[in-house]
Amino acid sequence: MGAFLVKRLGFAVVTLWAVLSLVFVVVRIVPGDPAQVILGDQADATAIAAMRTRLGLDAPVIEQYWTFLSGALRGDWGVSLVTGRPVIQEILAVLPWTIELTLVSMAIGVAIGVPLGVWAAINRNHMPDYVTRIASLLGLSFPPFVSAIILLIVFAIVLRWFPVISAGSGSPSAWFQAMALPALNLGLIMAAYITRVARSAMLEVLQEDYVRSARAKGVPWRVVVWKHALRNALIPVITIVGLYLGILIGNSVLTEIVFNRPGLGKLIIGALNQRDYTMLQGMMVIYTLIVVLVNIATDLTYAVVDPRVKLS
Amino acid sequence: MKRTGSIVAAMLAGALLATPALAQKTVLTVGMQSSDAGVLDPHLNSGTPGKALLNWMFNGLVRIKPGELSPEFIEPDLAESWTASADGKEWTFKLRQGVQCHHGYGEFTSADAVYSLNRAATKESSAFSSDYGAFDKVEAPDKYTVKITLKQAIPSLLGIVMNYHGGNMVCKKAAEELGKDGFAKKPVGTGPFMFSEYVPQQYAKLVANPNYFRAKPKLTEILYRFIPSDSSRDLAFQSGELDMMLGRQEQAWVDRMNALPGVKVVAMGPAEMSVLHLNMSQPPLDNLKVRQAIAHAIDRNAIWQFRGKNISRPAVSVVPSGYLGTDEKAALLPFDLAKSKALLAEAGFPNGVTIKTINTTLPSMLSFTEATQALLKRAGITLEIQPVEHATFHQQIRQDLSQVVHFQAARFPVADVYLSQFFHSRAIVKTPTAVTNFSHCKVADAEIDAARSETDKAKQLALWKTAQEKIIKEVCAIPVNEMMQLWAYKDSLDLGYELKASLNLGPPVLETTRFTK
Repeated sequence: MGAFLVKRLGFAVVTLWAVLSLVFVVVRIVPGDPAQVILGDQADATAIAAMRTRLGLDAPVIEQYWTFLSGALRGDWGVSLVTGRPVIQEILAVLPWTIELTLVSMAIGVAIGVPLGVWAAINRNHMPDYVTRIASLLGLSFPPFVSAIILLIVFAIVLRWFPVISAGSGSPSAWFQAMALPALNLGLIMAAYITRVARSAMLEVLQEDYVRSARAKGVPWRVVVWKHALRNALIPVITIVGLYLGILIGNSVLTEIVFNRPGLGKLIIGALNQRDYTMLQGMMVIYTLIVVLVNIATDLTYAVVDPRVKLS
Repeated sequence: MKRTGSIVAAMLAGALLATPALAQKTVLTVGMQSSDAGVLDPHLNSGTPGKALLNWMFNGLVRIKPGELSPEFIEPDLAESWTASADGKEWTFKLRQGVQCHHGYGEFTSADAVYSLNRAATKESSAFSSDYGAFDKVEAPDKYTVKITLKQAIPSLLGIVMNYHGGNMVCKKAAEELGKDGFAKKPVGTGPFMFSEYVPQQYAKLVANPNYFRAKPKLTEILYRFIPSDSSRDLAFQSGELDMMLGRQEQAWVDRMNALPGVKVVAMGPAEMSVLHLNMSQPPLDNLKVRQAIAHAIDRNAIWQFRGKNISRPAVSVVPSGYLGTDEKAALLPFDLAKSKALLAEAGFPNGVTIKTINTTLPSMLSFTEATQALLKRAGITLEIQPVEHATFHQQIRQDLSQVVHFQAARFPVADVYLSQFFHSRAIVKTPTAVTNFSHCKVADAEIDAARSETDKAKQLALWKTAQEKIIKEVCAIPVNEMMQLWAYKDSLDLGYELKASLNLGPPVLETTRFTK
């Protein structure tokens, strides 16, 4: 276990370095001048040149790379080119919002997806199966920003149960009001994925010999499904949860914009539009870090759920 | 029992009567199309979301009457009066006495004004330093007098000491004590509203300045919410969570908002003029007849209809309408398809020409170029559009990579700014003094320069008129139409003035602004 962790963390460091370097290169290849964006379209060439010097963008690229990498090692991600505030501060201010949204929507996804998938599998080729398959297909087909607008129109404009914009801090009811629609939006997409995976995993497991033996021995169907089969069917579900966590964070970009929720999504769109190099670099580190850590966590969870899996 | 009943009835009646006063809103919630307001230092922020917000916190020495745009409406702000020497090189401002800086930073005096102007003129502390290139020195002969000496006269000194860009007056003690970064987090001015809180990606909160020199504001708070998604902003406005918001430049948006009850929609100035700059340094646009053919192929009225009658208007000259010095009746080449084709044939292109343009993907600007493309096609001119993301567009057009540049912009409303930035040879792209002269136009340098230091108003206007005539004759660029800024607000919000325009691109919120219910 210890050796596994050391190896995976070492791998994570190499991955981080590779991503950092790639982002450093990419943001500089993409056309668009941050100095120009900051100063606006009335700035003359002299002012733009002065701004580039101030931002350190006129230094040789290799020197910029070294400053960036050595700063990153010290935990210094520099300041945002646009707002002048430290990158790490800006990211940490909104990170909890994205993590919170992702976790709550994942919980919604699992809570809906696993029982639905199992229900569909044990009723294979019957009405519950058809209904579930159509519903999950619908869930997968909806782009998150379209479903977000529909949720807003129904629940905020027509029914007036939730506000369109909400600060979401302070009281638990304010938190719930701000969280409900965005989490539901992402949670339903997640549920659609999980339902499909849980269904097919369950179908496979139900055909295994040990299930048949259990049935032959007279173990009640309910116990067979929930105690014996589900535990094994969960392995692919965990894989999918881990894998789609990255997609969920990506989808949160659009969800955060439409629901006007603070978070990494809103931050990265602003940074991209304004060619805020330092902010983009900092954000890519965070994204990579999240994906790498989630992968490690997924592997660890396998071991807990399935005793056959050995971490080595 | 009867007596108790009447007491209860009286209390109820009293409560009902008191309700309107209690229910009167005093918090204004504004929705802005942005995820952030940028750096909150008035001398560094040039973005639309920041400009509107900073305008509610800062004063200039002078200001344009709220709701107006033209410099003819300049009136006192922190300065009560001013005089200029005959040659226009020495300006003396007398300040109001007793004006207080926000958050207890003391009285605003000439020392603060001198500090502010020097700060605005310094590259390190200001994004607008080039506006102050003509400044020789700024002095404070006494506590309430500011004297500005110029190296040479400029068309509008008052324009750069008003509550706009570098003209915003900051409080010296606060700026020094807080430092550049600290000041940008807690800006201190003298305006009707004071900075209170900034929550990244969510909102900026301002509170009323109880010591504001004009009067204590009727609103108690302004909540300035950052909502980048157009649809979410519309829905939040519709659900009553916003009192005022920036709209999108589409006729359909105006029609939809107008259909909502209790809503006022304003198409305000400054209008952004859409101009097609023709790169005369490259064939076939180096040929005057080809440029004329393009100009004759563009039907301004058709584009006006296309962009929306209530939100745009046809351009009148190479300087937007309503600016000081605009030739409102300039002889722009009229739409004439036959003449356009004939000119192309004369130029040696009987089968038409193909020209290329790099265009931003911003929907309203791209759709304009696509409409233009359709118009030009009828004259045998093929316009190939290469759409790129907005920041890329700005970089590439400055690298002289586009034959035709569609640029949409508003400027300080004096002809000199538009002429100098877009049509003076000093501003030609890819030169060390480049600004936004994409056409390589240089026919009116002499008039633009002469008008800059001309102190006789009539002569100055005549010079600007000649400059416009020359640029139009040379067809350096084709002005097409002007797009207004769109705002919607509840009709229960009384701004306290008639909103026709705002140089800071957001409606001024004043001490008189209030809700009527």
